[in-house]
Amino acid sequence: MNHTMISAQHVTKRFTEPVEFVVLDDVSIDVQKGEFVVLVGPSGSGKTTLMYTLSTLDTEYDGDIEIDNTTIRSLSKNQLATFRNTMIGFVFQFHYLLPDFTVLENVMLPAQRLGIWSEEEMEHRAMEKLALLGVADQASKKSNKLSGGQQQRVAIARALVNEPKILFGDEPTGNLDTKNTDIVLDILQDLKTEFNQTILMVTHDTAFARRADRIISIRDGRIVE
Amino acid sequence: MLGVMFGVTVFIFQAGLLTGLQNYFIDKTVNTTAHVHIYNEVRTARPHVISRYIDTTSRWVVVRNQKPREEARRVRNGTQIISDIQKDPRVEGVAPFLGLQGIYRLGMSQQAGSLAGVDILREDQLFKVKENMIAGDLLRMETLPNGIILGAGLAEKLGATIDNSIIVISSKGVSLDMKVVGISKTGITLQDNTRAYISLRNAQRLLQQSGSYITDINVRLRDVDLSESVAREYQTRYGYRAEDWKAANANVFGIFRIQNMTVTFVIISILVVSGFGIFNILMTIIYEKMPDIAILKAMGYRDRDISQIFLIESLAIGITGGLFGLLLGFLASKIVGMIPLNIQGFVSVQYLVINFNPLFYMAAFAFALISTTVAGYFPARKAARFDPVEIIRSR
Repeated sequence: MNHTMISAQHVTKRFTEPVEFVVLDDVSIDVQKGEFVVLVGPSGSGKTTLMYTLSTLDTEYDGDIEIDNTTIRSLSKNQLATFRNTMIGFVFQFHYLLPDFTVLENVMLPAQRLGIWSEEEMEHRAMEKLALLGVADQASKKSNKLSGGQQQRVAIARALVNEPKILFGDEPTGNLDTKNTDIVLDILQDLKTEFNQTILMVTHDTAFARRADRIISIRDGRIVE
Repeated sequence: MLGVMFGVTVFIFQAGLLTGLQNYFIDKTVNTTAHVHIYNEVRTARPHVISRYIDTTSRWVVVRNQKPREEARRVRNGTQIISDIQKDPRVEGVAPFLGLQGIYRLGMSQQAGSLAGVDILREDQLFKVKENMIAGDLLRMETLPNGIILGAGLAEKLGATIDNSIIVISSKGVSLDMKVVGISKTGITLQDNTRAYISLRNAQRLLQQSGSYITDINVRLRDVDLSESVAREYQTRYGYRAEDWKAANANVFGIFRIQNMTVTFVIISILVVSGFGIFNILMTIIYEKMPDIAILKAMGYRDRDISQIFLIESLAIGITGGLFGLLLGFLASKIVGMIPLNIQGFVSVQYLVINFNPLFYMAAFAFALISTTVAGYFPARKAARFDPVEIIRSR
């Protein structure tokens, strides 16, 4: 069963400051459900910009993007926020955990915004994701007491707590050593194979790229296969 | 938070101190001056006698050394007016008064002062003479034909105590032997230092006047707030000048107004400064928390969720700072209220009188909340407007 998760048609984006510069030049891309796609390319190629555009964080572009058959442009700012909350999980290069909160509280944040589950249910789901990533034993610690690898795994758990349709990543292993990189990559692959999770990541780590189903190369704002 | 706290503290303290003192003073004056005071205003300047007969617009008329007309300061028909006023249901009490200047002598010591010829029982009904007596017995004014009640300051200066005989001399040259039957202390320094009560009859004797001669009528109303309108009414009805207690103390109320204004400005500036303090702190916090804001937005938190967080934070600062400020202000007022001062000034007080009106506490708290909310609004809005992509990509 083929189900198109992300469909981008003729996406063009230009910066006008400081000089007119075309970052994305007529990019069209389709990502199927359950696909693990990585965007690669040299720095400045526009791969990160493409990821932010596809993930609805960046809303200034020409062309059309549909996620799970919803046209992004048709959503208001608040609708977009709600859409992100339910449909999309993010993992960044930096973990962005709130330092004053415990690991569990951090993971529960997106669920609290969603607001459809009871406190116990949220806790249960958060613990489930933490267990999936092998950091359930850290749940009651303050997030800044964890090691870099653990923090990144907590960040992935947080991204998954609302069971998003798509997991977006911006160099999620960029700050990690080889061992932790391997752990994170194993987890991502497990998510894909076991839960049929759609994943779109930006990286310039070739080891990372090799694990993906599909590699999309970007150069000067265009896709080069 | 400290800024808010001190702002509120100063507000409470200043307002309590100032209005406490003012209320004390008003209380004293309401009790010691008549609500409505009726007297004969003697106009000393009068036109030339000649101008009545000769047109002075076209020629020069010079009359040198024209004397004021011999006009008694008396209120004619005083007794009738008093019994008339007595019938007014708004009136609590009315008392005749005869004021004159005199000299008190006790052996070698001599003091000038003003004598109040009164019907002591009526006077007591109006001005609580009895309550202010620190020695002696009011009733002896009635039983002795020549009793006198001295102000505390006057008695001290004369060196007179209860049952001393003193001589009172009037401007007419009449002298009377009087017996000190009481010493009173009103708290208003000027009165205590110069004033003495004698009976109406003795006052008339000192001025060589008949038994109906009085110069003033003092009225106490059941409701002080009616003073102004009642005064106006009596003035037209009896044809004598009738002044309410506020007009009689107009200069003091002028000072109060200036005081209140000054304090209001001081408080407003403190709150503005603390508002800017909160603004600065929140701005700093927002820049510090930029990554957190970015991830919350990426997670799907809306702009208003973000601004709410910071508004709640500033409100929390306002509430805690406000509450601590209220507590501190209350304590400061309490402590200052316990310091013995013994000021002899305008009025004499032993302790600072502090007003603990709950209205001030509510107003101060409301001010704290308003200033923190306003100060928190702009940083909160700024936080909501951050673009998460810019923040995340810049790391």
